[in-house]
Amino acid sequence: MVQFIFDTLFRAADLALIAVALSAVYSLIRFPNVALVQYAVVGAFVGMALQQQGVPIVPAVLLASLLVGGIAQVFNAVIFQRLLRLDPAIALIGSLALSMVLSAGFLLGFGPAAQRFSVQVAPATRVFGVRVTEMQVLTGGLTVAILIAFALLLFRTPLGREMRAVSTNPVLAAATGVNTARVTGLVVFLSGVIAALGGAMLALRGSVSIDMGTNMLLPVFAAAILGGLGNAFGAVFGAIVIAAAETLITNLNFGPIVGQDHVFLPASYAPAASFALLVAVLLFRPRGIFVSEVTRV
Amino acid sequence: MIEAQDLRAGYGDGADILNGISLTAGRKELVTILGPNGCGKSTLLKTIAGYLKPRSGGVKMHGKDVSTVPIHEKVRHHRVGYVPQTDNVFRSLTVAENLRLGARGLDRATTARRYDALMEQYPVLASKQGRKASALSGGERQILSLARALIAEPEILLLDEPSAGLSPLMLHEVFDAIAGIRDSQGMCIVMVEQNAFEALGVADRAYVLSLGQVAIHAPARDLLADPAMRALYLGGHVA
Ligand SMILES: Nc1ncnc2c1ncn2[C@@H]1O[C@H](COP(=O)(O)OP(=O)(O)O)[C@@H](O)[C@H]1O
Ligand SMILES: [Mg+2]
Repeated sequence: MVQFIFDTLFRAADLALIAVALSAVYSLIRFPNVALVQYAVVGAFVGMALQQQGVPIVPAVLLASLLVGGIAQVFNAVIFQRLLRLDPAIALIGSLALSMVLSAGFLLGFGPAAQRFSVQVAPATRVFGVRVTEMQVLTGGLTVAILIAFALLLFRTPLGREMRAVSTNPVLAAATGVNTARVTGLVVFLSGVIAALGGAMLALRGSVSIDMGTNMLLPVFAAAILGGLGNAFGAVFGAIVIAAAETLITNLNFGPIVGQDHVFLPASYAPAASFALLVAVLLFRPRGIFVSEVTRV
Repeated sequence: MIEAQDLRAGYGDGADILNGISLTAGRKELVTILGPNGCGKSTLLKTIAGYLKPRSGGVKMHGKDVSTVPIHEKVRHHRVGYVPQTDNVFRSLTVAENLRLGARGLDRATTARRYDALMEQYPVLASKQGRKASALSGGERQILSLARALIAEPEILLLDEPSAGLSPLMLHEVFDAIAGIRDSQGMCIVMVEQNAFEALGVADRAYVLSLGQVAIHAPARDLLADPAMRALYLGGHVA
């Protein structure tokens, strides 16, 4: 049981930041920018590249995240705003296309091998009988800290109030003097930063390969939809549900059902859990698990 | 304070909705815009506010040409308040947050003072400060949207059907409040209305639009008194 909780929480931490970023931009520009999962990979790779150039790890990660925030803004201005004028569905397809292009770019730029930050790896310790590494605890804590910081920004500052205002009613926000284009740009920037931080946390816990983004796409998307797209902190909840489902499906003994002692699904079946949940939610609660009015960023 | 000159405007690359409208409104004046549904009243207000750029003609405020100044800059630099016809509150924000957004850019002390004054003036809001705007009734939302615009103490106030969804009792309360602001603060108010009779009761002048043009422009008193006008355009309510 303890093992299950830890596995779920760490997996949820993997997904949460990127899902929150996806949900936050959705609330302002009304299409799910799936390229965010690739922005996470860029964040990790650029961070590692900077470290190889001799930049200490903390500034390397921060610098990489800011850079990705800028890249997110550029892509948004150059590509997505144009596609959005045509149709949100076209923008979604555009973001898929951008994902593929970025993915191909990674292969050229970084090669197919998985890469990791160079950090001293302390031996794993046991907590409540569960193997936990120092990096898992550290990055898990950082993930929670980043989420709290984002929540405080959103709900406790005038700027956050403006972000929420633009999200619920851009026309009226402009009538209170809010420059909606600027606020939207800022949220796009923040989404890039948060996604990149998410990618860096993933890289710190293990390694990052060029197909990480593609692999993360389904669970991250499912988490964001589960939480109600546009409801940033619903996405955290969605991440936990998806993580629990994935952990469950790979740890459940299906033996008794098929008349054998032990039958476990291989880990590669984990995405099936997200997929099944995604379909179920879309069928029964297309606006997410939370009822009608949600606080949208 | 407002001089609109021969405005032509429309949406996207669609046809002109406004076909050359001129309008003025001065300090301490309440001007109402009447006319049948779809004749372009809201479009006119949006063009004056700066959501739509005029295709030709221009808008001056305080004597300056502001035809191409977007709404968020007008609000900040030209003391303009605008209350749209629909969706005029931030539904997922609380009543207090709605008002704080209206007070954007003001210092703390001023905000607190005006906030308290509005709470006193509109007790319906005072008892629901922490509630989401989505939980308010239609009438309460209209009051909130008005209060949100007023907290900034604009010199020019553009109101699109402030009486929509109000009970007759509330309607009179809101119109009296609007006339009161004109008198006490010397505000310049342009108000689009469906309730023609009631609007003419508090307004100084009226423009009646038809097909994107000014069909009638007259003092409100004259319109109310003219039987032909009543039959033709007002008929109790403008259709
Ligand atoms: N956002 C919009 N895009 C395109 N056409 C619009 C839009 N808003 C209004 N219209 C059209 O402009 C015309 C005038 O509308 P409007 O100004 O809202 O009228 P009113 O406020 O007098 O009822 C109508 O024909 C309406 O269909
Ligand atoms: Mg209208």
